[in-house]
Amino acid sequence: MVQTEYYVALSAVLFALGGIGVLTRRSAIMLFLSIELMLNAANLAIVAYARQWSAAGAQHALDGQAAVFIVLAIAAAEVAVGLGILVAIFRNRVSTDVDELSEVRA
Amino acid sequence: MVAFIILAVLLVTAGVGVVTLRQPVHAALSLVGAILALAAIYVTLEAHFLAAIQVIVYAGAVMVLFLFVIMLLNVGRTRTASLTWLKPAAWITGVLSLAAVVAVVFAVQRPLPEFEVINAALRGGNADAVGESLFTDHLLSFHLVGVLLLVGIVGAVALVQQVAPETRAKRAVAVAEPEDAPELVASAGEAS
Repeated sequence: MVQTEYYVALSAVLFALGGIGVLTRRSAIMLFLSIELMLNAANLAIVAYARQWSAAGAQHALDGQAAVFIVLAIAAAEVAVGLGILVAIFRNRVSTDVDELSEVRA
Repeated sequence: MVAFIILAVLLVTAGVGVVTLRQPVHAALSLVGAILALAAIYVTLEAHFLAAIQVIVYAGAVMVLFLFVIMLLNVGRTRTASLTWLKPAAWITGVLSLAAVVAVVFAVQRPLPEFEVINAALRGGNADAVGESLFTDHLLSFHLVGVLLLVGIVGAVALVQQVAPETRAKRAVAVAEPEDAPELVASAGEAS
């Protein structure tokens, strides 16, 4: 079986890629896609640690997988609201470029 | 190990595609590929239920929502960043943080438990086992996530809601002849 370290390293690669996407992309939709990538990277790390944690006994071995289930539901809610905001912005501005949406900042 | 390397290469390739592809539709489809590879990796980690949920919820529901919005907004090619230093800075930041995390992870190596121990504790990560954990230890989180999803539904509907054409026409008439329907004038004033 593959060691947990390799899975966490793969998760770090995925998270770094998502972070690079968030920093370099300008369209809000592409930002969302990159954020999804980062959420999935975090999920991968949690699942890998859940397997490592199974030596602690059956009582809490599945805590990690239950947490990933809840993160999935939160990601779904976030996407629904985020894309709703995006559609509302696009109706008013006809643009999803985040550089042009900078007047919200204080 | 061979399966892990194949899946890891697929996953990273798809991830690079999400970050670098110019067309939003191509990037979204690349993310679908990454999610499917991740589901296969969950299977190798004894999380079968999560693998199924990953395919159904992410590759099914969330990505369809993404593709709908991309096609609805008709977002074409995205322009490149105007700040010339931003792109190299982002890549350097990403690679540095990646190197730091990997170094920390490999600095302290712990042996994996025996296969029998993992199998007995995780029970293959099937719906029965995850559900038992979810409905006993994590019942409060489960309820809260239900409320969160309800709020998400109401929020999404409220955000994209538009005034119905009949109401808009009534409000226009009311603004033109205020003495006929004062309450409609008030509501039109609030709306505008």
